[in-house]
Amino acid sequence: MPSPIQSLFSRPRSRLRRLLADLPLSIAVSAVLAIFIGLVSGHFLENLLVSILIGLIAFTIVNGGRLLWWDRQSWGLREWAPFLALAIATAPVAHFTGLRIGGRLLGIPTPTLAEYPTPARMSMVLFTMLGTMMMIVLVKYRERVRRIEEEHAAARLRAEIIERQALQAQLRLLQAQIEPHMLFNTLANLQGLIAIAPDRASEMLDQLIQYLRATLSVSRAETTTLEQEFAAMQAYLGLMGVRMGERLAYRVELPLELSTARLPTMLLQPLVENAIVHGLEPKVDGGEVAVTAVAAGDNLVIEVRDTGLGLGQVHGRRGGGVGVSTTRERLEALYGERATITLAPAPPQGTLARLTLPLETTA
Amino acid sequence: MTRALIAEDEPILAAILARTLQGLWPELDIVGTAPNGLAAVEQALALRPDVLFLDIRMPGQTGLEAAEELAERWEGPQAFPHLVFVTAFDDYAVQAFERAAVDYVLKPVSAGRLGKTVERLRALVEAPRAPAAGVTDADSLGQLLSQLQALLPAAAATERLTTVRAAVGNLVRMIPVADVVFFQAVDKYVNVVTTDGEALIRVPLKDLLPQLDPVQFRQVSRSMVVNMACVLSAGRDDMGKVTLTLRGRSDRPRVSPVYAHLFRQM
Repeated sequence: MPSPIQSLFSRPRSRLRRLLADLPLSIAVSAVLAIFIGLVSGHFLENLLVSILIGLIAFTIVNGGRLLWWDRQSWGLREWAPFLALAIATAPVAHFTGLRIGGRLLGIPTPTLAEYPTPARMSMVLFTMLGTMMMIVLVKYRERVRRIEEEHAAARLRAEIIERQALQAQLRLLQAQIEPHMLFNTLANLQGLIAIAPDRASEMLDQLIQYLRATLSVSRAETTTLEQEFAAMQAYLGLMGVRMGERLAYRVELPLELSTARLPTMLLQPLVENAIVHGLEPKVDGGEVAVTAVAAGDNLVIEVRDTGLGLGQVHGRRGGGVGVSTTRERLEALYGERATITLAPAPPQGTLARLTLPLETTA
Repeated sequence: MTRALIAEDEPILAAILARTLQGLWPELDIVGTAPNGLAAVEQALALRPDVLFLDIRMPGQTGLEAAEELAERWEGPQAFPHLVFVTAFDDYAVQAFERAAVDYVLKPVSAGRLGKTVERLRALVEAPRAPAAGVTDADSLGQLLSQLQALLPAAAATERLTTVRAAVGNLVRMIPVADVVFFQAVDKYVNVVTTDGEALIRVPLKDLLPQLDPVQFRQVSRSMVVNMACVLSAGRDDMGKVTLTLRGRSDRPRVSPVYAHLFRQM
């Protein structure tokens, strides 16, 4: 799991603070028990004070022991057995000490250790034992509820972070696509063609419209067919072909049976644009870009191969550039580990981008 | 007749710029179009135009880099061409040039805007220039060059280099920067020269430069950066060319005219 989420939630509270935080609960349980005893025997206030004292002592020892030695989430016999032993052993100690302190505070004579064991007191010790168990069960229950809440919150946060990343990838994609240089240079070419070759200008305008439509309609939820995606890509390559003239050659291969395969919009385009913008456009002699799609088992494999400058030759291309990291983030959000994108050198010169994703067809 | 060279990698844009210019300035002789930043320099040196239109984003090297190289390699009595930068998007602060003897236009180029550029160029070309050859021209070139270098994207590294690590066989020699007499670019490598030896490092000079103390290490030509503390004297020959004498070295490196002002008497 990503570390920022972990650090948000597992910031551990100190044991002392947890112990102190649980004390009010022990007071409440003791008070409830005192009311019972008071109903039976009278002496309401005295019983309340003594009961709370006993409860605090017993709870501090038992809960302290639990936090010190058995502080883990799930309990088996190895935890329960020694814990119960501690609770049983603590009950008489807590009862006797609480009784003595309470007596001292109230000015009532209390039994010495020798006078202490009587059958009536033994039943009170048993009562203390039950009270202690109750507190611990309540505390453990409360901790479990809190843990579940934290896990929920962490899951929610994780979902939000992934959502936000997807959104950011989306925004970056939009910004990266309609690059001002691309747009203004294309318009400049159009302007030129209108003057010297109006027919070609109108053809180029059609391609620009198709390119802009595909680029601007990008949406996370939307999918498209390979046929449409290839058409949009060909419009882009057509635009670049006019602009770069003889410096750009391109080849596009889409097997007929894959034309209905579905994929997210604008997944392929950034790879082709990378090949041109970073590979071929800055290369003096230009070169070729080839885009192919094949089915490999349950997967769809799309390759974009260029004969351009190659990886690491251009500033900003190290690590794959914005287009590739954006595509990688989108793939992760959409497919998890079922989709991959790799960039590799394509000997003798150039770059090969390979996109693998689950093959989905609209039948 | 005024001669112009156009450097633009997109053929249609080059054609349409030539056509529009011809319409606005019929006496202008467009002597050629260069398809990339490298050809721009070679053609400008061969054709000696009065005006040079430079696209900024070009293959090979950018228009700014081409102008820089041209300024360093330009020699002779003819004045340096007037530069007009052409760009599709204003991502370089080229408008900073408006006060200098250069201009810029944005693509798509509007005939109205280009008309203003033509007016400006005509005024410049027809006005008698200050003494064409010699010191003054090299000075203005030096100024242009520093303007260009300010525009060129600086390498990110700003941390000062203190030691050059150069591989010599299986060893990595640690050379204190202060001991370096000069750095010389050799293809993609840089030769690091000290009084007692030389070593090659695989860092382009352009990337190395921002890591050096700009006062101590000065560029004296396109391929050479010299430690000023090691310069003993500068000599000027009959042709006005400047060469340096360095401490502990017999090399006599030449200083490019645009940097000659660094070695003039006070």
